[in-house]
Amino acid sequence: METKLQVKNLRISFRTNDGKVQAVRGINFDLAKGETLAIVGESGSGKSVTSKAILGIQAANAITESGEIIYDGKDLLKISEDEFHKIRGDKIAMIFQDPMSSLNPIVKIGKQLTEAMILKGKARQRESRDNFNTYLKNLNKAMIEANAKGDSAKAAEINTMCKQFDKFEFKHTKLQAEYNNAFDAAKEVIPMIDTVGFELEKKAAKDATDRLDDIAKLAQYSVSEYVVKTHAEEMKRLSESVLPQYKLGQKKGDYQELIATLYRIRDIAKEAVQKPVPNFFRMGYYLTFSDKPLPDMPVDQLNDYLRKYLDDNFMMSFIAKAKAAREYTARVSYDNMRTAVETLRSNLPVFQKEKLDKKEVVAASKEMAQAVAAAVDPLAIVKDGLSYTFAPSIKSEVGIYFGAIHKNAMAIRAYNKDKAKHDRLVAKGKKPDWEVAAAAVVDQELVKQNIVNVINRMIGHYEQLLASADQRNYDEETVDSIDYLMENASGVVEKVTRRTAKERAIRLMTEVGIAEPHKRYNQYPFEFSGGMRQRIVIAIALAANPDILICDEPTTALDVTIQSQILELINNLKKERQLSVIFITHDLGVVANMADRVAVMYAGKIVEYGTVDDIFYHAAHPYTWALLSSMPDLDTNDKLDAIPGTPPNMIYPPVGDAFAPRNKYAMQIDFEKQPPMFKITDSHYAATWLLHPDAPKVEMPKVIRERIARMEKKRGEDHAE
Amino acid sequence: MPNNNDETLLRVEHLCQYFGSNKAVDDVSFEIKRGEVFGLVGESGCGKTTTGRSIIKLYNITGGDIYFKGVRIAAGKLTYQKAIAEAKENYEKESKAHPEKAAELKAQMEETIAQQKKLMAEAMHDQKNCDKEYSRQRVAELNAKYQPLLEKAQGKEKETLTAEYKNELRKAKKTKLVTQIQMIFQDPIASLDPRMTVKEIISEGLVIQGERDKKVIDEKVYEMLELVGLVREHAGRYPHEFSGGQRQRIGVARSIIMNPELIIADEPVSALDVSVQAQVINLLNELREKFGLTILFIAHDLSVVKYFSDRIGVMYYGKMVELASSDELFRNPLHPYTRSLLSAIPLPDPIYEKNRKRIVYNPLAAHDYSVDKPSFREVAPGHFVQCNDAEFEQYQKMLK
Repeated sequence: METKLQVKNLRISFRTNDGKVQAVRGINFDLAKGETLAIVGESGSGKSVTSKAILGIQAANAITESGEIIYDGKDLLKISEDEFHKIRGDKIAMIFQDPMSSLNPIVKIGKQLTEAMILKGKARQRESRDNFNTYLKNLNKAMIEANAKGDSAKAAEINTMCKQFDKFEFKHTKLQAEYNNAFDAAKEVIPMIDTVGFELEKKAAKDATDRLDDIAKLAQYSVSEYVVKTHAEEMKRLSESVLPQYKLGQKKGDYQELIATLYRIRDIAKEAVQKPVPNFFRMGYYLTFSDKPLPDMPVDQLNDYLRKYLDDNFMMSFIAKAKAAREYTARVSYDNMRTAVETLRSNLPVFQKEKLDKKEVVAASKEMAQAVAAAVDPLAIVKDGLSYTFAPSIKSEVGIYFGAIHKNAMAIRAYNKDKAKHDRLVAKGKKPDWEVAAAAVVDQELVKQNIVNVINRMIGHYEQLLASADQRNYDEETVDSIDYLMENASGVVEKVTRRTAKERAIRLMTEVGIAEPHKRYNQYPFEFSGGMRQRIVIAIALAANPDILICDEPTTALDVTIQSQILELINNLKKERQLSVIFITHDLGVVANMADRVAVMYAGKIVEYGTVDDIFYHAAHPYTWALLSSMPDLDTNDKLDAIPGTPPNMIYPPVGDAFAPRNKYAMQIDFEKQPPMFKITDSHYAATWLLHPDAPKVEMPKVIRERIARMEKKRGEDHAE
Repeated sequence: MPNNNDETLLRVEHLCQYFGSNKAVDDVSFEIKRGEVFGLVGESGCGKTTTGRSIIKLYNITGGDIYFKGVRIAAGKLTYQKAIAEAKENYEKESKAHPEKAAELKAQMEETIAQQKKLMAEAMHDQKNCDKEYSRQRVAELNAKYQPLLEKAQGKEKETLTAEYKNELRKAKKTKLVTQIQMIFQDPIASLDPRMTVKEIISEGLVIQGERDKKVIDEKVYEMLELVGLVREHAGRYPHEFSGGQRQRIGVARSIIMNPELIIADEPVSALDVSVQAQVINLLNELREKFGLTILFIAHDLSVVKYFSDRIGVMYYGKMVELASSDELFRNPLHPYTRSLLSAIPLPDPIYEKNRKRIVYNPLAAHDYSVDKPSFREVAPGHFVQCNDAEFEQYQKMLK
């Protein structure tokens, strides 16, 4: 599975008047494409801090002490604000808990929705074009190196092939975009007619002018070469008569005629939607390079005919050459990886010295950075995040190390001065109303350890890649390359104008379940109820079509029906768009519904980590047990097992397991030493001493076992019905 | 918990609360027996909070009556206004049809109008003066208690007795019936004044009611703090020094100190953390057993409502659509909205969750009320549903 986001050894503290609050204390997790990771925990456990770090919106007093957040070959903790601006909201979007504070109260909802679309539309077009051009150029170069080997005629042939690919790919995306517009319109008009028609039949509709206007417009959009074609004339006529007929119907109080018209439109649309889809990729090639017009035949046959045409004339040889190119670059990259591992190993001692030598360190960093950069495969579609972030990581840590020498001295001097002043006042018998703030000293040992960690991790990563070198399937990867080019080409063609942005906004509003979107489009946030506002926030988050969606308690303030709708909505969008979701919540029912994997956080650490089944059926950490048994379900009658006490003060984090004071299963060692992560299965880890081989056997609490048994029985009954 | 007490503590009859054209609560009726927990559920904006606030007289209600301990504490004009309008309309219609009887009909109409106006005046009198009458009653009780004692007493005993009597009398004059209904609010941060210490917050009600003895106040406050699981030392602190759960405990203490008979808990746990939610629910349960409290519990988390309530009313767009004991409601939900609501509850079981099908409620598709209008009827003993004749029969069949 493709990993979208990696969080490594993240530590975040907050500097406050009372001291340093250690909010996040070394957490690791990764997020795969199309998966939902739920982070569960109480407030103050560090879950929101983590998500804010991913989005680069930490509070001003936050200090990132160590760690990396790797996304798309970048370390989000180290990139500039300008660079982050391209990612935040666009690639990584967030839904906040409080919808009122995340909407602008003096800007209309419609504007808030379309603003980003229009702005980002152009940037995205530019980016897609860059991606497409760069990748095609790299592929072109690698193809020549792999196939031609100095043969200039062959090289020229390859160059023309790439140019051809470029040309017909754009034709393809244009055709596809045209088709999609019409197809979406046809698909959308069907449920709209269903509801409006139903209301008209019952004569229960309020004013339907807006919706009928929409229907008429959509019906017109659906007329196109490959969607509504045979009934094009009729569709146009029908759509024009919708509104006049409605006015007439209102006068007469009888909508029979209009209903007939609507249902006819629906039938045509249904027929159009069910038609087979021509393959525009192949068609694009044919239309660009063949002099003859398209042969007149049914779509299925046409698709076959076009495939043969494309394969014979172009695709077969292109794929063969591309495959050779991919194998070639992969081989080069593997060779370079081996060298890089050696370089890294030989340079490691430089950073393990008692005191680092600046000259030596700079030279070593440079050598390592070059070796790692050489090992990058230019044709890999999923960027190897660790390789890309290696050089900046080392550079910034080295910067911190040497910067600290001066800064620490200053901080200590300031501290001593403050302390002396304080002591003087105390000696005079006065009671100063201020306290001496602790010196803000950077721990150089920790920084050194971070550097060594980064290097060791890089070595481990390369060794892993080298070990699995023969498991790669180059056929599949070649197809992926072509898909990647196709995807970026369609990004170039898609243009966002004010009109399309409005259309898309209204479609999004319908998608998130807002009635009368046309009217709502021109309203202000205060005119919406809490649930409706949250839907708008979700719509705004989705407008940019992000890769990663972070949901920070998005449904906590909503009631069950709306909560259920919103969860379904997020789940559907996740499936459709292959979205990766980080879902922060404390409602375990919601977690069971949404999550693929779950991380349970307590006092800044992940205490248990596993798939949703691991956590709910085989939970191993006492804190997870406590969470699971503290809330009533529909069959609970006994007193609730409330967790006594409150989370610890994170200015003085406990020495042992942070949960020990509230844990009824706590042992002596829990108060003395922090438990490591024990592995239970390949996917399931928990940090509790109870898993140590010497620990007494403790079973999951009765409440949870009973619930699991009860739910199993219930499922059986549901099946029987 | 079994509830054997049959005394009706609160009765709400045809409650209507309109804000302009927005019918926030429309013709809602229910009763709460002494000692029970009555849950009120529904989506946001369905009028459950408005119902709670109408009962505690934060609004002047538009129509209907609210009786607390048999005394009408709130009443609206709407019913009477409607009756008057109807009488006028009737007269116009009838008098056109039978012009010969016009005079007779007019007299009839005027009589009805006069009658209704009288009723309306009574209602308004009750609405305004229920508290005054209650305190008058209390004063009379006190007089009956102390007068004979005072007559008998001599010397120093008489002095202390007089002082006590005066103190009690002052308090009795300030007593309000409505203070026996107390509210716990949703947001423990917004509902506590940040400039007041915990002691001031908790004792405010007592002070307003005329308690002046600092010792009594202190003792009472400490007692309440310990009751809700805080310690005496907390009395001098400010709300911001507490965590969310502790703040909600302060809110509970503030309402309990008035010795209320009915507590309206408006989403008391939804703003709290999971582990703390359980603590607060357990606390409310303990207090309820200790004092025999009656609670109107408004919440949107159905698992919590089911756990905590004896009976549950389901509201949808200002109407009560179903009312039954909580077990009955979850076993045999009848109204389609209730079924849709129950199908939306997330449970902590991944396999169940992945297969859960949500039932969508569309009032237009679910009911045909074009001819046969619905009303709130008792389908089985104690199980009420908003339905019309056809649905009534259908529901009865479903229960068999």
